Amino acid sequence: MSEMWINMGPQHPMTHGLWNLRVKVDGELIVDADPEIGYLHRGIEKICEYRRYNEVVTLMDRTCYVAGIAWEQLYIMAAEEALNINPPPRAEYVRVLSQELQRLSSHVMWYAAYVQDIGLMTPFLYGMRDRDLILDLFQSYTGARMTYEFMRVGGVRNDVPVGFTDRCRKVMDWFDQRLPEYEKVCDNSTIFLERTKGIGVLKAADCVNDGVTGPMLRAAGVDRDLRRDRPYSVYPELDFDVAVYDAPDCYGRYRVRMEEMKQSVRIVRQVLDWLDRNPGPVLAEKVPRFVGTPSPPPGKEIYVERRGYPKGRGFSAMEEPHGEAMAYIINEGAEHPYRAKLRSPVFVNIAASKDYLVGYRVSDIPAIMGSVDICVGESDR
Amino acid sequence: MTDLTLATLLPALESRFGPDVKVLPSRKEVLGVVQVKGERLVEVARFLHDQGTFTHCALVSGVDWIEHIEVLYHLWSDALKGYLELTVETAPEEPHVPSVTSVWRGANWHERETWDMLGVRFDGHPDLRRVLMPEGYRFHPLRKSFELHEPEELEVKARHV
Repeated sequence: MSEMWINMGPQHPMTHGLWNLRVKVDGELIVDADPEIGYLHRGIEKICEYRRYNEVVTLMDRTCYVAGIAWEQLYIMAAEEALNINPPPRAEYVRVLSQELQRLSSHVMWYAAYVQDIGLMTPFLYGMRDRDLILDLFQSYTGARMTYEFMRVGGVRNDVPVGFTDRCRKVMDWFDQRLPEYEKVCDNSTIFLERTKGIGVLKAADCVNDGVTGPMLRAAGVDRDLRRDRPYSVYPELDFDVAVYDAPDCYGRYRVRMEEMKQSVRIVRQVLDWLDRNPGPVLAEKVPRFVGTPSPPPGKEIYVERRGYPKGRGFSAMEEPHGEAMAYIINEGAEHPYRAKLRSPVFVNIAASKDYLVGYRVSDIPAIMGSVDICVGESDR
Repeated sequence: MTDLTLATLLPALESRFGPDVKVLPSRKEVLGVVQVKGERLVEVARFLHDQGTFTHCALVSGVDWIEHIEVLYHLWSDALKGYLELTVETAPEEPHVPSVTSVWRGANWHERETWDMLGVRFDGHPDLRRVLMPEGYRFHPLRKSFELHEPEELEVKARHV
């Protein structure tokens, strides 16, 4: 049969965002793939060069709309590295709390979207309902449900409110009950198992060479999690296991995310106990004032030299819900970074898509691309 | 190389590649910073991948320093649990460095993005197209000569017909 290219996207229910998956098919068989992104490119790296550090936090939320707070912390950590500022311990714990709640909500969102792609409607409603509980928690201490603007250079904007830890514990208890149910719904569904097992295989060696990270990598049996292997913030003081599974297919990725949610609940509980015992400030005292004041409109005077202001490079890497995210900031003694670079895990995971699509059928595409957990805002920046 | 440590790796790199490799002062968040001459980049990359356990090319990026362009590579090693930073300098007019896609396939899109954003050509790259901006876009937006407040003319050609 003759081969032909088809465009799946930019608007297609499979894409979960604005991007285009071009696949070359021979009948139903995929023989080549050429993903095409850039539809959501907003030039965030360029805008960062024109904005003071705290102003960029607003943009970082929009980088990834399901894991905004992860990107906020990523950028702020690199900025703190470049500016030599150390946040107080309580701020670090509030950050880790936010990270793990975010991981939980991001994975629940993924679960809801993924099972719906595969044809199960009930778990979609389960997932969306339970995600709201976490968004309520976020709302109670950041004031927003998705775009938080919460991290600051030197700490976080505010402490958690009175009674928050108890409310959060209740939600975690609820998740203890719900997570096994999520798994039961999928593991007892023949449709789910048939559509995920042995589909979209990307073996460990290929994962590593392709630069694929996150749940996809751990599903292939590679035991790498930056929270443990390159500890940042207060993760070394917390007790958790890294979820690894030995099936490099869609099912394995589902398994890894399920286990990660349980570990997130475990981490959140430890953080809550710590927060109850250790009051304190959440923002460092010595932060240069202009870090937070608004920028003048963009013009020629952007690289204003500040006397005594440290020059340096800052680099941060963290385990974001989708994988390994990195930020690189070069500070040349001005109010704005000279260069800011973001590494998106989704960007790389999409880039490798040819390797895990070829050889499968067109009808497998939603199941495979869904298991990657794509967030286009993040890959396009 | 068994019982690999950074203390043995960096001198091994220097003794093997001589003046083409220079170990720069390190920072606390990376394992080390190594400056490499563009011509030897692929050999150094191959050495680090095969002998240095740097199997994961996490990031390729670039910086426009106006007098020159710096291309940065961040490599992760599972054995050493950290990132090694490689930096390569190239001229600002027609900047080009060899592609490392033959060593790490994962560098493919990062190199495409660096071409797109900074106009650095990667010699030997299998498919050096723009990745974020549309084909036919005239600028490389992360160059310092591209100012945000200037209105730009955008001519968009169809990417594929």
